[in-house]
Amino acid sequence: MWFLVPILGLIIGTFLGSNISFQLPPIYIKYMSIAVLASLDSVFGGIKAIFEDTFDGTILLTGFFTNALLAALLAYLGDRLGVDLYYAAVFAFGVRIFQNLATIRHHTLTNYRQRKQRNRGVKNE
Amino acid sequence: MNKARRQIPITIVLLCLGIMLSLQFQAQTRIASDLTYQRSDTLIAMVRGLSEKRQKLALEIIDLSNQLRSQMESSRDEKKLLEGIHLEMEKLRIVNGTTALKGPGIMIIIEEHMPIIYTDLLNIINELWNAGAEAISINEHRITSHSTISVAEDAYSKDGYSIFMTVNHEKLTYPIIIKTIGEPNNLEKGLTLPGGIMDNLALFNAYPEIEKVDKLEIPALEKPTTYYFMTEYKPSEENKESTPPTTNPPGITNPLKTAIPR
Repeated sequence: MWFLVPILGLIIGTFLGSNISFQLPPIYIKYMSIAVLASLDSVFGGIKAIFEDTFDGTILLTGFFTNALLAALLAYLGDRLGVDLYYAAVFAFGVRIFQNLATIRHHTLTNYRQRKQRNRGVKNE
Repeated sequence: MNKARRQIPITIVLLCLGIMLSLQFQAQTRIASDLTYQRSDTLIAMVRGLSEKRQKLALEIIDLSNQLRSQMESSRDEKKLLEGIHLEMEKLRIVNGTTALKGPGIMIIIEEHMPIIYTDLLNIINELWNAGAEAISINEHRITSHSTISVAEDAYSKDGYSIFMTVNHEKLTYPIIIKTIGEPNNLEKGLTLPGGIMDNLALFNAYPEIEKVDKLEIPALEKPTTYYFMTEYKPSEENKESTPPTTNPPGITNPLKTAIPR
């Protein structure tokens, strides 16, 4: 199965993160949250790309880090300027995450149906 | 597309995501336990509980400090009592003659040829007490309230029948030296005042020598007196225990009570 190794990576990552002695300073929690949201969006986008066969590792990696950094920077800039760009980022990434999830669901469903039909066809033959 | 090659970036990305997620999760839980993010109801309850606790602790502090104060007071009292007892003990030891003493005073020397009998000795000693003597010894025999001065006869001595004086039941040998601690001038005046004991003795041709000394040493009693039967008499307690208060004889007061200086 192709997704076993990435899931193992996710588990190891959470394990590492929970065992690191580093504690996030309270001021940066807000920016970290928006960065996490951006990276989640990138991950779901990558999964969608796998389903659509347009996957590119470089795009995923660059998108992951730049999205996270940019989102955090944007939120920070918004705080400096007195504009709540934080909510804009949350909205944008939230919408994109839901869209990506919807597409993924769509593709899995169609894949599943196709496989079922194929199986039925094999049975019928 | 090569499936193995697309696994690598996804794994890296998910690893980073995992780290970020858990960090964020920790931070968020930390914030949630922070006081500023608590609901006002829970805050009120917490404040109430804490203030109750604080009150209890304050009461405890008061209690404990009271205890401490009383303990310190009692210990101070005990110390004072102990000091007082020590002082009393020293005084009593001096008075009872269980310690050797030193101080200024006079020495009275009586030679063998002087016609002196034991009543003369008694008179001299009474006169010394009257003149303010604080401690007296005769030939190294300490004179206390239990001392005896008497006469004894010895029919079997080598020079035949003889009479001799005793102090504390010990035979006195000549010369008799009476050591007295006190104000030397006063003591001397007490003995030599006109019509006094010295004049009396002069009638019998006895002239004891009186010598003022700056530093006299008076020995302790050889056998300190021990008491087996005496106990302190307290009229108030007896009254409580028994029958209507019998009238105490006016002359008799508690000797211990009066002796102890406060």
